Amino acid sequence: MRRGQRSVVLVALLVSVTWAIPAWLDAQEGSARGGTLVVAISADPGHLNPAITTSGATHTAAELLYNGLLGRDERGDAVPDLAESWTIEQAGAVYRFRLRNDVTWHDGTRFTSADVKFTFEEVLLKFHARTKASMGGALAGIDAPDDRTVIFRFKQPYAPLLLQLDATEAPIVAKHIYQGSDPQTNAANAQPIGTGPFKFTSYRKGAEIRLARNPTYFKKGLPYLDELMMRVIPDPGTQVLALENGEVDFLWGVPGPDQNRLKSDARFRMAQTSYHPGGSNCIMTVSFNLERPILKDVRLRRAIGQALDREAFLRQVLFGEGRVATAPISSELTWAHAHGLNMPSFDRAEAERLLDAVGWKRERDTTRVARGVPGVPDGTRLAIDFLHFPAFSKYGELMRQQLGTVGIDVTPRPLEPAVFAPTVFKDRNFDTNVISYCNGPDPEIGVRRMYHSSQIGPAPFTNAAAYRNDRVDTLFDQASRTVERDKRSPIYRQIQETVVQELPYVWLVETPTTRAWSAKCGGFKAWTGLFAEAAFCKR
Amino acid sequence: MSARYLLRRLAQVVPAVAGIVIVAFVVIHSAPGDPVLALAGQHGDAAYYAFIRTKFGLDRPLPEQLLVYAGNVLRGDLGVSYVHGRPVVAVVLERLPATLLLMTSALMASSSAGIVLGVAAARRADRPADLAVRVAALVGYATPSFWLAQIAALTLALGTGLFPVQGITDARQAWTGWRYAADVAHHLALPALVLAANELALTTRLVRSGVLEALATDYIRTARAKGLPELAVIRHALRNALLPVVTVIGGRIGMLFTGAVLVETVFAWPGLGQLLLSSIQTRDMPVLLALFLLVSLAVILTNVMTDLAYAWLDPRIRYE
Repeated sequence: MRRGQRSVVLVALLVSVTWAIPAWLDAQEGSARGGTLVVAISADPGHLNPAITTSGATHTAAELLYNGLLGRDERGDAVPDLAESWTIEQAGAVYRFRLRNDVTWHDGTRFTSADVKFTFEEVLLKFHARTKASMGGALAGIDAPDDRTVIFRFKQPYAPLLLQLDATEAPIVAKHIYQGSDPQTNAANAQPIGTGPFKFTSYRKGAEIRLARNPTYFKKGLPYLDELMMRVIPDPGTQVLALENGEVDFLWGVPGPDQNRLKSDARFRMAQTSYHPGGSNCIMTVSFNLERPILKDVRLRRAIGQALDREAFLRQVLFGEGRVATAPISSELTWAHAHGLNMPSFDRAEAERLLDAVGWKRERDTTRVARGVPGVPDGTRLAIDFLHFPAFSKYGELMRQQLGTVGIDVTPRPLEPAVFAPTVFKDRNFDTNVISYCNGPDPEIGVRRMYHSSQIGPAPFTNAAAYRNDRVDTLFDQASRTVERDKRSPIYRQIQETVVQELPYVWLVETPTTRAWSAKCGGFKAWTGLFAEAAFCKR
Repeated sequence: MSARYLLRRLAQVVPAVAGIVIVAFVVIHSAPGDPVLALAGQHGDAAYYAFIRTKFGLDRPLPEQLLVYAGNVLRGDLGVSYVHGRPVVAVVLERLPATLLLMTSALMASSSAGIVLGVAAARRADRPADLAVRVAALVGYATPSFWLAQIAALTLALGTGLFPVQGITDARQAWTGWRYAADVAHHLALPALVLAANELALTTRLVRSGVLEALATDYIRTARAKGLPELAVIRHALRNALLPVVTVIGGRIGMLFTGAVLVETVFAWPGLGQLLLSSIQTRDMPVLLALFLLVSLAVILTNVMTDLAYAWLDPRIRYE
């Protein structure tokens, strides 16, 4: 093992120990073992196998039943979980994992490397859309030379692997349960057997899921709770009322208008996080359809960027819950997020000047018209549509209002998610839209898809702008082959500088979510799917 | 009522259901939106989307999909839910009891209270009590159930602490026997009350006007002249006044289900209403079709039952 690699492992071990101590101290302070935690979830998951889906509903409800090879700490870095250590070989083309030998499945069967190999080859790489899309093409093979060793071999160095192995991205399922069956219809999906801190007890469809403490969990002493109940409550307002009425103990999110009320109530605790099982580190992003002649001129796109008061989006739409985006990559990915970029700042006069310069003139009407705009017939009104999910209607209203002041007529078009995606990505029938692009734990997972020219096409939530830049493509390819973060950071900086200059998108606001829980409970790890692994409730 | 008439009415159900299946299938499949996206998530690649499309037969031409579906329905097979991965019949049946309980409770509460309030208002026509009932009925009829549900949760649940705001049982207790029944009844109270409010208002107004009209007829005058006690007089008047009420109740089963969608969502009541909403959001077409079929059948059969109730209420009505 090279010295650098050894230090990576040591740091990972150190981080995992420092992460475990506060949770342990919390529990000691509360001296609370036992009890039931009631968690509100927004949707019935349908099944409880997170390895065959990226559905947020299933992952929210099921991750506590499973583990990944690795976990993630509060900063988003990889820490040991089912694997106790790892080494990186051949400059990142080979990863070798050493598994723990004290792990058993909930039915008592011993966990081995065969489970890992089977899970990836037969389940994750076939059915888990993110893992299949990101890792599928890069992987050369997985070997399990003995019960405690797993080796991932890639066709060329592959950087993001360590952040793709937690229970959200790659939950490990039992080979003896799924072998020889269709993983999508196996009965165990409704009565799961995992290795996680909680065991499955019962599932009343559409109503509740009950989990019980796993007494043989490999992290000694954990979990503290005897029972964990997930209660399906679709309406966010009702979730808050249920918390206030003492019927539930933990919420995954709190609507903006309710946050101040809960904050000022000593019965509750709150914390912000950018992690969510459905997608982490999300930025509300306006996409321009670069195939439309009206939007081809970068000065017009910059004018739109400068006419948008992003602070107003933060205040009026998010009620302050979030941050104005200062770069194309989320500030949560501290090593990849670039500082000091020339992002379009709110300057209405400059926006008007740019529009005049392009040839969009103010005449009698409040909406500007084309007078000598390249590729656009004279007299064309500067009118664009703006597609959004119904839940994002306030973004549409603000866009219409703010761009209206500089003479751009915006027509918001609310579309349900199932209609929005084919309209934007397949039919490309839009001028602009807003999408919550989640960067994920690594830019390779959630950022590359927005800019790489190979990502233009029918697959939803990819390169909505249809942005093409050979240099940016090359930089992304280079970054994906570079394992060391200190070498990847400057590459991502160059990418961000370029796209901020060319503005295929305007990055509005980063949208963390607020978890809320009863002050009687604590020990939550809001940044991971195993959020209640060390939770406790005083009764 | 002759058995022949009843058989003829039931036979009419078959073409009606066939029509519903075809129309619902075409409408649902023609609506914009792609279930594959809901299933595969936003990170799938083109090959994965194609795999899902083939798996559920969504890559075949629509007429072929319709023929396959119709054939399966005739064999009693409503297909497999895209989202739940299980037979649709099982998915629907496990949610049915909760919705039946909610709708039956709401219907019984609104019908019985509506009759009592309507009669009371008619007997005190144009006096303060009547005015109060009429105003309350008007407000009740005009109030959207989702708003009423929020207000009920805020005031009656959070305000008094007497009622839970969500669920069908207490999440922290696993009661059995009569304590389980009591727990369910406790959780049922608010959603049933909210769902009943709209129906109560309508029934009250109908009963009031029906009884008022009946009280002015000759047979009631005769009954009073014969010295019949007032309760018996009202019973006579009510029997005639109930005909339009029965018609309306029968015809409003579909509306009640619509209300159940909203009420179940606000109160996290695990019934068909919630399932319908989530199935629309995820374009789970087999489940949607099954729900349309179920609700349509319920409306058709309720209408047959309404016809039967006519004959019972008014002996002059004969079906041949």
